[in-house]
Amino acid sequence: MEPKVNILMVDDQPGKLLTYEAILGELGENLVKASSGREALDLLLKMDIAVVLMDVSMPELDGFQLADMIRQHPRFQKIAIIFISGVHLTDFDRLQGYKRGAMDYISVPVVPELLRAKVSVFAELHRKARELESLNRELEQRVLRRTAELRESENQLRQRADLLDLATEAIMVRDLDGVLQFWNSGAEAFYGWNRQEVLGKNVHQILRTKLPSPAEEIESVIVRGGRWEGNLVQFTKDGREVVVASRQVLQIDGGATRPAILEISRDITAQLQAEEALRKAEKLAAMGRVAGIIAHEINNPLEAIRNAFYLLQHHPTLDDAARTYTRIADEELTRVTHITRQTLSFYRESKEAVPVSISGILDDILALQARLLERNGIILEKEYSGDGPVLGFPGELKQVFLNLIGNAIQAMPEGGRLRIRVAEAVEKSQQREGVRVFICDTGSGIRPEDAKQLFEPFFTTKSTKGTGLGLWISKGIVQKYQGIIRFRSMKLLRGNITAFSVFIPRSGSPQMSESQLVSSAPLS
Amino acid sequence: MCKRDLILCVDDEENQLAVRKLVLESEGFSVLTASSGQQALDLLAHHPIDLILSDHLMPGLTGAQLARQIKTRNPKLPVILISAVNEIPEDAAYADLFMSKLDGPLAMCQNVSAVLARSRNGSTTGSTA
Repeated sequence: MEPKVNILMVDDQPGKLLTYEAILGELGENLVKASSGREALDLLLKMDIAVVLMDVSMPELDGFQLADMIRQHPRFQKIAIIFISGVHLTDFDRLQGYKRGAMDYISVPVVPELLRAKVSVFAELHRKARELESLNRELEQRVLRRTAELRESENQLRQRADLLDLATEAIMVRDLDGVLQFWNSGAEAFYGWNRQEVLGKNVHQILRTKLPSPAEEIESVIVRGGRWEGNLVQFTKDGREVVVASRQVLQIDGGATRPAILEISRDITAQLQAEEALRKAEKLAAMGRVAGIIAHEINNPLEAIRNAFYLLQHHPTLDDAARTYTRIADEELTRVTHITRQTLSFYRESKEAVPVSISGILDDILALQARLLERNGIILEKEYSGDGPVLGFPGELKQVFLNLIGNAIQAMPEGGRLRIRVAEAVEKSQQREGVRVFICDTGSGIRPEDAKQLFEPFFTTKSTKGTGLGLWISKGIVQKYQGIIRFRSMKLLRGNITAFSVFIPRSGSPQMSESQLVSSAPLS
Repeated sequence: MCKRDLILCVDDEENQLAVRKLVLESEGFSVLTASSGQQALDLLAHHPIDLILSDHLMPGLTGAQLARQIKTRNPKLPVILISAVNEIPEDAAYADLFMSKLDGPLAMCQNVSAVLARSRNGSTTGSTA
């Protein structure tokens, strides 16, 4: 059922109004009558009028004047006006009428069908316009409502994002395909990628994620259970490998947006490294304890055996052959003694630092390594120019040079030159006197990217063969003596030259370490 | 090297004590043996001993404790500790010398001669190897 519209009929003669009413009655609309222009204006202001039907010639306020007044009001600018005129209208008159915004003219005598048809068209037009208006209004309201909702959720998101930015953890939101939608400043700081670089890209491609189990498996856990936790290996923008504890939570936002995954990554690289370092240190300490026990247990019978062989060698009943056998046995025993002394026993030294000859220590080490040097085809060049003794603990200093010489030899499996120079020196910055040792090799060299970490604990280029402790311990010892350890590795046309220089000041009094459990077991 | 000096060898292990005695005898020393610190103290009371060569880690008195007791009675009597332990014990300074069993028979005999010579010259300042 269509709503009725109001049709205003204006005429000063009640008879005409009745006539119009009779003609238009069957349209079924609301007919409103006004007997003057003023009354018509009053009604127009009170009601929503679809069509105004008016006589042109009325006393006081004629049709044209009334039309002018109606049109001046912005609300009525589009209202339909039909003029009924008893006098003959020229085209000029009509033009005037149209200019005033009239919609149509009807001449007297009024043909009822014609009047009905015209009014009906305008009424329908008005109805449609109203419908359109109300639709428009509704639409606008819906748009407004939706805009408000969006603004609200955007606000919430922004607030949430602000909160997320406060977190030091890397927080990101991605869709199920891994495409990043959010990236907080924690993520920027940690991974080194800024928002503009990553949003819209795949998170696991950017971070080169190594997942602990197949991606589909993890995704299905998240989709079914709503969350997943585990450790991921990832890479920062500058290529640093990091381990993160990752928490991933499925976000379903009432179905309004597509489901997303909130990922929170906490950097546990340092923690893992510390744990690993602790584990290694514990292992080392345990090894040390075991080695100490073994050394003691071996050294006791070893002494008795050596003494017995000593006696046997000098026994008068021995013939030449037997004497040869005992000599061989004694030599091999001496080797065993060397081994237990070098690898198993940690000699706690005297509490006081004693005068130590660095060149003497170097010779001791080289004597032990002589066999290895020969086997690897390494030419040894020694250049000692009279070093005075320094104050220190021989075991510690031996440790430093054993590591450096050991590294040099290991860097030259195919042979090369090991040059060792010892000289009195004056350290420039503080004018301290001391001894400087250069240990140069022509081995594999040190890659520039490794140089920075060379003295870091547990850094090794020897894969499983090194503990990564040798140079770290060496540096620690040298620093204890207020000395300086440096290196340089040069790539030359014929190969590499790597040189370590160690300066030990003569007066530098090393502090007594709590435990001098510096093992000679394979370090570095 | 001064021959015919009387050395008291102390060790709880029989074999080690026996060969050490033989080595010292082959170098011309006279040797008495004791298998514990207490026994060593008993022997000291009855024999004109010139030097004590004792193991350190023994049940009962350790070598260092033995050295301390000897020195309180006779500060001039030289004591050498010979040990396979990894660390020089705190009280090793009571002895004139602390040496490793790994140094071998020749070093042992040389140390004995050297400490004897030093004690004859009137110097008994403690030192460690």
